[in-house]
Amino acid sequence: MLAARSPENLVEIQDVRYSHGERAVFSGLSLTIPRGAVTALMGPSGTGKTTLLNLITGQLLPDEGVVLFDGRVVCPCSRRRLYQTRRQMGVLLQQGALLTNLNVFENVAFPLREHTKLPEQLIRQIVLMKLQSVGLRAAWQHMPSQLSGGMVRRVALARALVMDPTLIVYDEPFVGLDPISKGVIVRLIRQTNDALGITSIVVTHDVAETEILADLSYLIAGGKVVASGTPQDLQKDKSDIVQQFMQGQADGPVPFHLPGPGYAEQLRTMTAA
Amino acid sequence: MNAAIRDCWLGFSRFVAAFGAFQIFSFRILPYLPKAVLRPRLITEQIYSIGALSLVLIMFGGLFVGMVLALQSYNTLVEFGTIDLLGAFTAEALVRELGPVVAALLFAGRAGSAVASEVGLMRATDQITAMELMAVDPIRRVVVPRVIAGVISVPLLAAIFSAMGVLGAYLVGVHVLGVDGGAFWSQIPERVDMTTDVGIGLVKSFIFGVSASLMGVFEGYNAAPNAAGVSRAATRTVVITSVWILLLDFIVTGLTLPEV
Amino acid sequence: MQSERGIDISVGLFILLGLGSVIFLVMQTLGLGQVNSGDSYTLQARFDHVGDLKLRAPVALAGVTIGRVSGIRADPLEFRAVVELRIDSNFSNLPVDTYASIASKGLLGGKYIELSPGGDEEFLQDHDEIELTQSAILIENLIGKYMLKGTDE
Repeated sequence: MLAARSPENLVEIQDVRYSHGERAVFSGLSLTIPRGAVTALMGPSGTGKTTLLNLITGQLLPDEGVVLFDGRVVCPCSRRRLYQTRRQMGVLLQQGALLTNLNVFENVAFPLREHTKLPEQLIRQIVLMKLQSVGLRAAWQHMPSQLSGGMVRRVALARALVMDPTLIVYDEPFVGLDPISKGVIVRLIRQTNDALGITSIVVTHDVAETEILADLSYLIAGGKVVASGTPQDLQKDKSDIVQQFMQGQADGPVPFHLPGPGYAEQLRTMTAA
Repeated sequence: MNAAIRDCWLGFSRFVAAFGAFQIFSFRILPYLPKAVLRPRLITEQIYSIGALSLVLIMFGGLFVGMVLALQSYNTLVEFGTIDLLGAFTAEALVRELGPVVAALLFAGRAGSAVASEVGLMRATDQITAMELMAVDPIRRVVVPRVIAGVISVPLLAAIFSAMGVLGAYLVGVHVLGVDGGAFWSQIPERVDMTTDVGIGLVKSFIFGVSASLMGVFEGYNAAPNAAGVSRAATRTVVITSVWILLLDFIVTGLTLPEV
Repeated sequence: MQSERGIDISVGLFILLGLGSVIFLVMQTLGLGQVNSGDSYTLQARFDHVGDLKLRAPVALAGVTIGRVSGIRADPLEFRAVVELRIDSNFSNLPVDTYASIASKGLLGGKYIELSPGGDEEFLQDHDEIELTQSAILIENLIGKYMLKGTDE
């Protein structure tokens, strides 16, 4: 596979294999993330969605295969080049991960202070603008501990956007939020993507939200892509695993019972498998 | 029997591995040190949090240790007619040994565990990962300022401890036990030498400071990313740092004691 | 932002306190008799036995410290101890018949050098040797002597 520069795909995963210890997480995964669109990565728990994100951000190195960002291989790389690549990415982690010793304003200003030598006035304008876009300009003085879960994520979003990245990645942004907060995040993701012309990747297992939000969806199970297309395409997909996931069925290709010794046998003798 | 031997071997190899990881971590920090002076604000914040906030503990500790030292040694010194040496005796014990060692142990308990918890919590709440994703090197931003702050703070704390100790000994010795004030102070230079005693004390406390800071940050940085991991990091820091300080003290004292 | 000022002040105070303590300790241990080579001259003295005389032990005149022991070594030819004394230059008028004896500070005190000047008109110069010396009196020898005496009777 040649690492060709593909203008319409910001991120390309090409035949990636990755194992965590003995467990094979990906056995030949390939997908592309088109520019300017919101792409959803879905799958049952434990398929390695977060691992995939780590591969894209260069936190992990694929055993085989290539991860491309903007036509260039993400890793192997030097720390400096990796940091350069990352400056074009904004990542919103599941818990927001705000720095607890800084207030909201300082948290959003953090990348600016670390990477640029902008004057204080300019920093203030940029930070307030980003906070305004997530609706939290009035909370600038609060400490992260004083914010609700949804608000933490919105501040984290503002922070992820402050350096005007090309790609923004959301790691499970809807987990643990009430319907109103979910609605807020959905609106923010869509608005940000369209208004700023950036590319968004949303890792989630929220089928309902994805339906509203995503331009393109991938369903990943068993270390491979099992379905791709618009959310509507996935709904119509007839394969078992896609149906189980989209309908939320308790049993199917992902079994209800964890594989193990036979029931009758274990009732007789309780030994470790 | 085999199981016991195997456990010993496992424990030993784990210890060696951890020690090796610690060395690698420490060396990894070295290149960042020169540039760190460009961010004095970060260092100042850390000196406040681990040094200035330890002051009360250190000052009280020093004062009381000095007072106890005076009380303890009074009887023996009086018996040999050398009570005038109370000042010299306590000063020497404090400056050479008690100051550096006890101050470092108190530091390990208060500041070492605090640093380990702080950094461990940052690790557990993904703040360190977030920094890496923001292309900010967490070693530069989080680790190095704390190490430098510790290296600066511990010798100062040890000196403050010793000074308070001598004052404490003076208060008890002269104002409670009736030792002659003039003799108390004048005998100190006779027995306590600036270069050897004060100097060795400062060198020791510097070495302890380096160790305590590095260990606290190391444990926190590599803590398991959950609540149990953080508390384990804190307790491990205190235990390992304390043992290491006492061991180092023994070695340094042994090496420097035989003086003519 | 306001607490930034507070932190700076606290850190400043802390460092001042620390440095102050260091200076305090240094001042306390910097005694009199800290003679540097600019203001001092050296004398030598040989003894049969120095006891536990240590480096930097005081050299006293009429009980007042005017110098320090700056060197102790054994002479392989004469099998005696050679002690080097660094004396304050203000006392460059010690007669050549000055007596140097090793005395004890109290029963358990450390050893020091006591100088008793004679009456000669010639003075000891830099690097001269004090001829008249009294070695250390060792307790063990005294006790031994008295024990022998006792058993005689």
